[in-house]
Amino acid sequence: MISTHVEFYQGTKGSLFRIIRTPEHVLAHLLCIAPLFEQANQTRHHITRSAINGYHQGLQTIVYDHYGTGDSGGELVEANLSLWQQDIQRQIEEIKANSAKAIYLSLPLSAVLLLSDEMLSLVDGLILLQPDFNGKRFVQQFKRLALAAKLTQADKKNPTEMNGQENLEIAGYTIDKKLLEQLAGQNLSQLTSFNVDCYWFEWLAKTDELSPGRLKQQQALANKANKLIVQQVAAVKFWQATELQLSAEFLAQEQIAFSQLLSHSAAIS
Amino acid sequence: MTSAPFTDKTNEQKSGQTTAQLIKLLIAIIPNYEESFWHVDTELFGAIAEFDSMTLVTLIGEIEESFDISLDDDDISAENFASVASLTELVLERS
Repeated sequence: MISTHVEFYQGTKGSLFRIIRTPEHVLAHLLCIAPLFEQANQTRHHITRSAINGYHQGLQTIVYDHYGTGDSGGELVEANLSLWQQDIQRQIEEIKANSAKAIYLSLPLSAVLLLSDEMLSLVDGLILLQPDFNGKRFVQQFKRLALAAKLTQADKKNPTEMNGQENLEIAGYTIDKKLLEQLAGQNLSQLTSFNVDCYWFEWLAKTDELSPGRLKQQQALANKANKLIVQQVAAVKFWQATELQLSAEFLAQEQIAFSQLLSHSAAIS
Repeated sequence: MTSAPFTDKTNEQKSGQTTAQLIKLLIAIIPNYEESFWHVDTELFGAIAEFDSMTLVTLIGEIEESFDISLDDDDISAENFASVASLTELVLERS
């Protein structure tokens, strides 16, 4: 039976819902950072699966909801980038204060927009799932949801203008405009210290070539990170599919990455 | 003039390749249809239940990435996303 502890952790501004799976012998820690908005729902089932797999390999895994999202306290409209980053940092610092074992972050999709140099200086490795470091593009795509929704709605009210000047309502999310501005300002060039083990999982069919945009991002990170390993996942992008899908190919590759990280951390300690 | 038929054939090939690539993207995003369902005349917006705003925006992202093009917000219209054919036309215009 999996040792699971569910709690409300005191974050920077309010309580954060967390699920912690602790193996009998903890070899390292894995903090799973949820991606933003709808991507959190699209990846939740996979994050849970990864956390369970990690647990079986000796990783203490922590899955939590950002402030104002999921089962955590607060309202999304009260959230900002700095607050979400502080919540991550606080958790990393707490793990570090109680354990000498390695700490890894799992960052799917837009979760990488929350990364900071401070976090990178505290952890030992990253697992990146189809990361998109281009905050401007992420926000553009998110705002397009409002435009697309207009096509499907009977009323032609502009969804982005429903809540006055300061807040936006997009796809059912009420958000402070400033949060989107902060996210749009995030990009890889702001991060300087990538001196950690870094696994980048890129979803790409065997017969396809990497798009110029993705290639550019990979090269930019390769220039910063001296321990970058790019793994190609030749499978359907499970988070995009209109029906729930598990990517067995990815999970198998991720388990190998967990093993490699753990053997690396064991060699160092 | 002997180059016109050659140009027509090239354009036809390009259009066919674009359609094939679009269908590949659509199958990945909406996997619950047989491959034979997808062809140049397959209707999308308003015809397929799964083709909601989320799917539409996902598709836009994939199109931009796959074809290395940028779509304008004005391109997000029922007309452009009416069918695989109209989408092919849009991609070719922006390429």
